[in-house]
Amino acid sequence: MKVVIAGFGTVGQGVAEVIGMRRELFQKGFRQKVTIVGAFDSSSLVKNPRGLDPEVLVARKAGTGRVGKRPLDGGAEEFIEEYDFDTLIETTPTNIVDAEPGLTYIRTALNAGKNVVTSNKGPLALKFRELTSTAAKNKVQLRYEASVGGAMPVINLSRELLRGEQIYSLRGILNGTCNFILNRMKDEGLPFEQALREAQEMGIAERDPTYDIDGVDSACKLAILANAIFGRDVTYNDVMRTGIRSITEDAISLASEQHMVVRLIGEINDKRVEVSPRMVPVGHPLAIGGTLNIVQLITDLAGDITVAGRGAGRKETASAVLSDLLALMNEGRGKRR
Amino acid sequence: MKVNVDLRLKDIPGQLVAALEPISKYDGNIRGVVHHHDDRVGGRITVNVIFEVRSEQSLDKILSTWKEGEVDIAKIDAFFETYPIQYLLVGSITSKELESITKGLEAMENVASIEIRYTGTANSSSRAALVTGKASKKETLTTLESFFKQRADKHNYMLIRGLD
Repeated sequence: MKVVIAGFGTVGQGVAEVIGMRRELFQKGFRQKVTIVGAFDSSSLVKNPRGLDPEVLVARKAGTGRVGKRPLDGGAEEFIEEYDFDTLIETTPTNIVDAEPGLTYIRTALNAGKNVVTSNKGPLALKFRELTSTAAKNKVQLRYEASVGGAMPVINLSRELLRGEQIYSLRGILNGTCNFILNRMKDEGLPFEQALREAQEMGIAERDPTYDIDGVDSACKLAILANAIFGRDVTYNDVMRTGIRSITEDAISLASEQHMVVRLIGEINDKRVEVSPRMVPVGHPLAIGGTLNIVQLITDLAGDITVAGRGAGRKETASAVLSDLLALMNEGRGKRR
Repeated sequence: MKVNVDLRLKDIPGQLVAALEPISKYDGNIRGVVHHHDDRVGGRITVNVIFEVRSEQSLDKILSTWKEGEVDIAKIDAFFETYPIQYLLVGSITSKELESITKGLEAMENVASIEIRYTGTANSSSRAALVTGKASKKETLTTLESFFKQRADKHNYMLIRGLD
């Protein structure tokens, strides 16, 4: 399978490294090679039809800040359309305003008959139906396990292993940063601002934490899950959303006296698609601490199924991308037909 | 409502079926039946039956049918199922607002118990109030959610619900 990596930030580099690390698995398990034949970031492009060395790409990015030597010059669309490869691995950052540039990259690849594996929430949270229809129309696959919960395999679990189940509802913690902050507020009695600063110092929260603490990141993921698992036609804008920035240490303390913790919970059921802080009894699976993500699926035959995992990180997100690449190879989609 | 009853039945075929039939007839849901063959009183054996009924009226009809059929009831316990009420309010919550919430909840049907704990001073913009209690009907939870949501929207404070 010949792949091109779009976006060469933390996730893109992690994907390149993992492709290098799993050469033997591709060969032994599928009698195939996964070859990176191109990669581009916001300013540069590199390509070689015979393959590029993942280690060299990562080293060049680390050394120069660019993945390629030649400038991209706005030619990404043309490159995706005309260059010979099988699968676009799209890892550009999430943009929830207009989903660009990832949306254009994904659209272009699908229309050019190329599979897409993406970790980017924006295009899916805003244009899920359009993109899945485009993939179906062009008889290619769009896979997006890495877009929700990093290494936590909730989408493929629901759509493939739990295919025979009727899934009534879903609820979970989809943002590790908020979970860390709420947990520190409870454990140390910290005010919100101090817990946030601590998270920023530890590199858990971004310098601009809005996406996390206002529930934007969780709402994007919930919109994707509502479409992918429940067949709803919703966008990020349809998700009811309340963040955690107004929560006080007094509120956390009152809940704690009643053996409850406060968590930012995403919930999909027949009444709502909502992200909001909720009180969770101590000992409940969703009372989980740290930065883990966790999702509970309520099903008719299997009952409650809970899955947890690291929601972000270079290797963790790359692991989810890898699972999608393997699924493509497993279905004989490694090479374009 | 969950009902736990000990019936004393003649040890002859058909007695148990006849005793259980009114439960199904009045929309009850049988959860368990245990024979106590070693517990014989006056030639009758004790059978413990646990079942659920939707209302007291249904239970009354079942008890009347048993009475008419001369089914001997040795012991009966009925437990009402309750549903937890859990709301955490954060923000500018005045004493007047807490009073209004209390009055509103007291006036609401099927709110079995209620307790409000709060922190901070009345004029604080970051007061927290925790409302806990029990409702005797599941439908009341929907009414409660609208009640709290409307108040939170109107008075501009944050509402944190418990898990359903």
